[in-house]
Amino acid sequence: MAVRPVVRYPDSVLKRPAARAGRVDDALRRLARDLVDTMRAGPATVGLAAPQVGEGVRAFCLDVSGHPRAGASHGLVVLFDPEVVESGDQEVLREGCLSVPDLTANVHRAGWIVLQGLAPDGGRSVYRMEGFEARAAQHEVDHLDGLLILDRIRSAADLFPRKTYR
Amino acid sequence: MAHYAVMAIGADRPGILAAVTGALYGAGANLEDVSSTILRGHFASMLVVEAPEGLAREGLEAALREAVASLDVSVMVREAEAAGPPSQATHTLVAYAPDRPGIVARLSGLLAGKGVNVTDVSCRMVSEDRPVYTLVAELDVPAGVDPDALGADLRALGGELGVDLTFGPVEVETL
Repeated sequence: MAVRPVVRYPDSVLKRPAARAGRVDDALRRLARDLVDTMRAGPATVGLAAPQVGEGVRAFCLDVSGHPRAGASHGLVVLFDPEVVESGDQEVLREGCLSVPDLTANVHRAGWIVLQGLAPDGGRSVYRMEGFEARAAQHEVDHLDGLLILDRIRSAADLFPRKTYR
Repeated sequence: MAHYAVMAIGADRPGILAAVTGALYGAGANLEDVSSTILRGHFASMLVVEAPEGLAREGLEAALREAVASLDVSVMVREAEAAGPPSQATHTLVAYAPDRPGIVARLSGLLAGKGVNVTDVSCRMVSEDRPVYTLVAELDVPAGVDPDALGADLRALGGELGVDLTFGPVEVETL
């Protein structure tokens, strides 16, 4: 088990598009385990992308099960080279991010998505996600594209300061 | 380091913010928090700045006045305590009604009486022919105040004032 420090903006790894994984090897599987350990050890968070632990590779984990906002979900999801291949319905929610801890922002995201990528065993996985799980996955995919919640602001009223997590 | 609160207001036109911040930059002051908006045609800007050693309040105010002299803008500078952490908004209050005096005073009076801090508020009068008044506020409801009871009190006051009102928690999801 390895819990890694979560990097914060302005660390440049957060603003670079991450590199494709290509195929899943043991090193990437170790990285995925670290992501899950770090996600579970941190303050209330439901997902973590590799750039948030300083690794510029397209990998993330999420688990919204047990979160009060989550409806049906897939439990723990670990995905490499994820791609949103279909999406629809726009929703707005105020999001926070471990890598930008002093701000929150109203972010518009699709209400449902179809997400595909590589599972830790190297096989292709396809998920249809809705609601909070779909939102969390889009937030993590944004991290792989070098995008933060600040990049999703559409109006001056969409950004808020905050003291700390609770 | 000294901190100053700077206020500037004048009939809106392009260039006010540039003139104010240009003078602050020229004086070596570092902008911290800034909030500016247009209030019925008046550009109103509030800035908290960190000042370099030796920059007196009077000197900064004079430099700002000179910078905005051609823009018909009023400027004021006051000393400010070093900035603390931002107050945490826990709830949002939205209220609207046909325009009449006292809506903001009564609602904010109720909040003040319970020790609830208003961390952000914006009010607008809209529709000139049938004026509607809107208020959107962010509130820091302290731990000792029951939000459900506060919501009931606000709704009761809203009923008395004829104000339509919603009150609820700020919901933030850390992803």
